[in-house]
Amino acid sequence: MKTRTIYCMLVMLTIAALVIAACGAPATPAPAAQPAPAEQQQQAAAPSGEFNWRAYEGESLKLLLNQHPYQQALVGELNKFTELTGINVTYDVFPEQNYFDKVTIDLQAGPASTYDVFMTGAYMIWQYAPAGWMEPLEGYINDPSKTHPDYDFEDILPDLRNSERWNLLPGAENLGQGSQYAIPWGWEANAYMYRKDIFDANGLKPPASLDELVEVSKKLKEINPNMAGIVVRGSLNWATIHPGFMTMYSSYGCRDYNEKMQPQMNSDCAVEVTSKWIDMVRSAGPEAWTTYTWYQAGSDFGAGKAAALFDADILGYFQNQPGTAAPEVLGNVAWAPGPRGPNGELRTNIWIWSLAMNAGSKKKDAAWLFMQWATGKDFLTTGAIEYNMVNPVRQSIWDNPDFQAKMAEQTDYLSTFQTISANDMKIQFTPQPLFFETTTEWAQALQDIYAGQDAKERLDKLVASLTEQLKDAGIYQE
Amino acid sequence: MQSKVSNNRLAAILSDGFLGLYFIFALFPLLWMVLVSLKSGEELFTTQFVFTPTLENYQAILFGDPRAAAGVVARQEFPRFFMNSLIVSSGAVVLSLLVGVPAAYALARYRFRGKEDLAFTFLSFRFAPELVVIIPLSVLYRQLGLYDTYWGIIWVYQLVTLPLLIWVLRSYFEDVSPDIEQAAMIDGYPWWRIFWSILLPLVRPGLAAAALLAFVFAWNNFIFALVLGGSNVQTVTVSALGYISSAQAFFNRMAAASVLASIPQIVLALSIQRYLIRGLSFGAVKG
Repeated sequence: MKTRTIYCMLVMLTIAALVIAACGAPATPAPAAQPAPAEQQQQAAAPSGEFNWRAYEGESLKLLLNQHPYQQALVGELNKFTELTGINVTYDVFPEQNYFDKVTIDLQAGPASTYDVFMTGAYMIWQYAPAGWMEPLEGYINDPSKTHPDYDFEDILPDLRNSERWNLLPGAENLGQGSQYAIPWGWEANAYMYRKDIFDANGLKPPASLDELVEVSKKLKEINPNMAGIVVRGSLNWATIHPGFMTMYSSYGCRDYNEKMQPQMNSDCAVEVTSKWIDMVRSAGPEAWTTYTWYQAGSDFGAGKAAALFDADILGYFQNQPGTAAPEVLGNVAWAPGPRGPNGELRTNIWIWSLAMNAGSKKKDAAWLFMQWATGKDFLTTGAIEYNMVNPVRQSIWDNPDFQAKMAEQTDYLSTFQTISANDMKIQFTPQPLFFETTTEWAQALQDIYAGQDAKERLDKLVASLTEQLKDAGIYQE
Repeated sequence: MQSKVSNNRLAAILSDGFLGLYFIFALFPLLWMVLVSLKSGEELFTTQFVFTPTLENYQAILFGDPRAAAGVVARQEFPRFFMNSLIVSSGAVVLSLLVGVPAAYALARYRFRGKEDLAFTFLSFRFAPELVVIIPLSVLYRQLGLYDTYWGIIWVYQLVTLPLLIWVLRSYFEDVSPDIEQAAMIDGYPWWRIFWSILLPLVRPGLAAAALLAFVFAWNNFIFALVLGGSNVQTVTVSALGYISSAQAFFNRMAAASVLASIPQIVLALSIQRYLIRGLSFGAVKG
């Protein structure tokens, strides 16, 4: 009898805990709640009139950072910010594997949260901004009393800036509208990286089309059966879709969703790209492809176990370093833009590491001082030249002769950037709050096709499942 | 007769052989970890057993990477993370011992209302999934100022260590006959001396086993340390993932860190091995 009461209590407690957890969960797609009153709260504290770096002397800020070369550059230079402003900054660094769990949990705490500024990716805006966790930044950028006249926001590449503006509405046309939720800090363009020595010895050229990509990959595998002809990501994660695959898919003219937010992954275009892609991976890719993440793909390339890599351009850069690269790889890495679509289009998908402000922060103006310093010209130029903050987000750094000299050792790295940015370079995904769930399911479909399922059938099934989810969330339009 | 002997011998050889095979199978991952920890970055991805061993991974994690200053690779503060793990794990075990030993004794000896319910509640901490409580806990911790503090982590580790300690020790206390306590009472011992000088030595094997297990579980905990701790109290389990950085996956350093991180558990297990013999008290009372 007693025991039963206890059991009942336990069950109720568990349910209560689950409900609490669910209420705070990020998946709620309602793009309504907006953290508007946040700004008013601090206006009183802000000194009126002129911009002053020392307006918040004695304040202390706390940052949440992902363990990354960008973070190392920041930590190396952080005392300069404290000297400039008198603001004391402490930070917690977490490994990337669990970094976003940490961010999500902290942001959920709202006003009780610990961190004022955090590192984020641009895709995360689609999850965090509708929940009201990210402070809109245009009010700070446009206020001359809060932003130094030399900040030069326009110097940040427009494709990057606009990829982090959103009006919280699902749909591709809504990206670049509405509020600025994060400031670009460093970014990755997806490109084709290859072993120049092997290509030269066999008279090969970087592929210019999807068919050539498949063909060259297979040929490389024939030439060197112990080596993968191409390495791309394949794990059961949304991150499998966004580098090489999404770039090829977009260049080919396929879309993820149409303007009514109806999934398009089973269009003729999509089926063709997917079938050829999987054929390429199956015949020329790494053996354990379905476990491949950024790390495996990069390590294989750096260790000389793959002749080509279709992923972030900076991954090739990090692998082409002494101490990391196998002796035969070092200095033999070259860059090329991804293969083009049937009509010559190049639509490169990008990833942007950014800084964002916690809407629950109680020190927003001081936090903005930090953000504008960390995304300002001085720090980013030092970061790019003396540390490894590649790719730089500011045009002035790309034009900087010191930076150009540093990167000249990397064969065709700079010219590849020129080509990519002269073409359609942006986030090629359609913004929507269910991005991570739906894109992970997309990766699952790729894995199933790799395992032998029919591409068309499996993609139809994917679209049916996504349609249902988007309808439930009220995103899908009839 | 002859054939029986050789049959027996054959069986013995077979079972020894099987055990040996299993031994290799079970220990191979550990051996592999040690091997990887001795490999250089260039040789990391070769699958041969022949390579030039180097201690540079251990050097890098213990004394820092010479290249870290230039921002090339993550600077690792392994010794600090190791100390953090040591502090929170031993802190959690000590606190659990202080609270758990009397609790286990009470649950074993006394009869009171709701005794089994209470014991079950303790047990439920052990099987309730941590993820169910983690978000409410993290909000509470931030409001109470316990986030990223040693006390906070030691406290939350009680969910891991306390139930284990109570349940293991309870059965040990139940094995000790009440007659021993009564005999000591007749000899004029006060209750605390009975507990300290008679009972505790008798349950020492249980105490050692439970404390060791609790320590291992606390040491291995990941989710509480990740969510409720910041850099100040970051443990080896959380920081170990940091060897996989965007620039390079240092599986060799991760292996070196894992080798070092397993040392306290091994040392502890070896040093208390002699207490791990149960049943010392079984003949104390004539039946």
